[in-house]
Amino acid sequence: MSTIALLGQPNSGKSTVFNQLTGARQHVGNWPGKTVEKKDGSFSYNGVKYELVDLPGSYALSGNSDEEIITEDFIKSGKADLVCILVDASQLERSMYMVSEFASMGKPAILILNMMDVAEKQNKSIDADLLSSRLGIPVLPFTAAEGKEYGKLKELIVKELSDPHTLSSTPYLASGKESKGKKSADQLKAESETKFQWVSEMLDGVTKTKSEKYELSKFDRIAIRPVLGKFVTIGIILLAFLVAMIICIPFMSLGSMIPQYTSGPISDALTGWNVHPWLVSIFSLMIPNVIYFSLSMAAFVLGVNLVFGFLEEVGFLARAAYQFDGVLSKIGLQGKAVAPLLMGFGCTIGGSCGTRVMDNWGQKMLAMAAVWAIPCASIWAIVPVISGMFFPAWGTLLICLGILLYIFVMIFLVSKIFGKKLAPVESRTGMIMELPPYHKAHWKHILKESFFKALDIFLRALRTVTLISLLFWALSYSKSGAVEDSILYKVGTTIEPVTKFFGMGWRTFMAFLSSAFAKEAVLGVLNSVFIGDNSLLNATFNAKTSGADAGSLSTVMSNSVSKAEALAFMFAVTFNIPCVMALSTTYRESHSLKWTSRVAFFYFGSALILSCIVYHLASLFM
Amino acid sequence: MKLSEVKVDQIATIRALGSDTHFLSRVTSIGMTEGTRVQVVRNDRKMPLLIYVRETLLALNRKDCEKIEVEVKA
Repeated sequence: MSTIALLGQPNSGKSTVFNQLTGARQHVGNWPGKTVEKKDGSFSYNGVKYELVDLPGSYALSGNSDEEIITEDFIKSGKADLVCILVDASQLERSMYMVSEFASMGKPAILILNMMDVAEKQNKSIDADLLSSRLGIPVLPFTAAEGKEYGKLKELIVKELSDPHTLSSTPYLASGKESKGKKSADQLKAESETKFQWVSEMLDGVTKTKSEKYELSKFDRIAIRPVLGKFVTIGIILLAFLVAMIICIPFMSLGSMIPQYTSGPISDALTGWNVHPWLVSIFSLMIPNVIYFSLSMAAFVLGVNLVFGFLEEVGFLARAAYQFDGVLSKIGLQGKAVAPLLMGFGCTIGGSCGTRVMDNWGQKMLAMAAVWAIPCASIWAIVPVISGMFFPAWGTLLICLGILLYIFVMIFLVSKIFGKKLAPVESRTGMIMELPPYHKAHWKHILKESFFKALDIFLRALRTVTLISLLFWALSYSKSGAVEDSILYKVGTTIEPVTKFFGMGWRTFMAFLSSAFAKEAVLGVLNSVFIGDNSLLNATFNAKTSGADAGSLSTVMSNSVSKAEALAFMFAVTFNIPCVMALSTTYRESHSLKWTSRVAFFYFGSALILSCIVYHLASLFM
Repeated sequence: MKLSEVKVDQIATIRALGSDTHFLSRVTSIGMTEGTRVQVVRNDRKMPLLIYVRETLLALNRKDCEKIEVEVKA
């Protein structure tokens, strides 16, 4: 099978071309031994299958980062039969630098002039034929987001595979060829100047060189202001989150009907056939809920990808990144992380899949770890209820304030503990980022991509959530339905001396455990362990329908739980692993079991330590 | 003068980029070489500079801008 590689700088539209060509036939993983995302896939043309590899995006091929080394090695290895180089037609001179870097490798290539629509809008004309005759390889004017252009591209690829061309002109370097190993400052300067000189020669007469002044657009004049711009940015991201919620709510409520309407009938039918109660609870409780959870997740991913796809494509996310780079760079994150972080206040799943906009894997993983620290909407719904049982209104307010402040501590800890590995200090360079011109959004492309992503997440989530649910189910299963018969109870009461040290009795500890499963489950579980009118299993899976009676729960809880324990419990729940869906989204997005579990262990452990500290401190005063 | 001292809408020509190789390979690969014309689009305190280089709007860290020597034509 022939292999085709995609090469291009960030923002050249490489991933759009990759997604459009491969559709759902793609595989995302990591390059062996590296924390750099590897995307490969395939497409068919006239009944023949072709392999496509998306090389990591970088501005140069000078071996300065893992991304650059991987790309260079891959091209040099000759594994690709053809390299498609993508350049941004609206910024041709600058993006042609990649071609000058590639030139000396002498491999077969074609040049794709992407974003022709933007270039045309800016009245930039490009003589593709002239450029092609100078370079000696085919040059294809292209708009990656237009589905109808791919026929031409595939046709060209196939033609070139049987009759390949290599660049006929390469930058003349004074040293004869590219210098190896560490280059001196003078060498670097000379080589890049020579390369840009070569680019100018290639483009002479190809484009009309205009030295017009750059004018900020009306919108940018507001969005880029130091203070006002920040408010505008936060406002737009929150609005985007709202839109994402509106998109996913119909799917979620539809999904919630699955357990609501099927649990009863399935349970009745299976019990009627004398099926073992063990299996009955799996089929009537667990499976409908797993489908519901996975569907909710997919709906979230769909909504978030739609709005994020839009914000990214029009060029807004780059402005947001510019605004917040200063603050976020202090914790090793790029400015771009601002959007997923803010989305985390709505939903950790949304925030986690929002990290797809980050430039590299390390940034993505670090951003996800930070998003986990942001209490989602469910927390803000639960905490006041629990707090209200023990504290007056002003106390609840103080607790919420305390939680808000602790977010900063948590993100600081995350950056200290994971930042060194995920975003090595030497790679934390000051911001150099292009702000792409505002584009019109190509909705068809955004819709298609979001849909594929959602479907993919749904199928994968089914597996992950089933597995974790089975585990929790086994722990909380009780033959009689009473809490006392579950493994969780037995383990819980056995280790109570230990959990007491961390500030929680076995009941609150159990609710703490369930909060790692789903935050919505916390009230249900509290209800079931304190009042015992509901099986633990039912409480966990049917959190919303089990109707936790806050009134009677309040009486019972405030009698058996001290204020200090309640306070410790609330903090522990808030900063625990967010939920099984966030956990599985993080795994799906990072493709790294190792890092997902590291982060999960960290959150679980630090929540316990936090609980311990809060409990013992609060005990001094309460 | 330093790039960070250039006023908005002035056009400067890069004269010296210093000798930090890591920094050099980053800025040159994005199009800033000695002799390149740069238009400063925004220059706000405590914010990265917005500059226009080779048809591209770039945000560049303030500290990095202090390392770049430029010349402004009157």
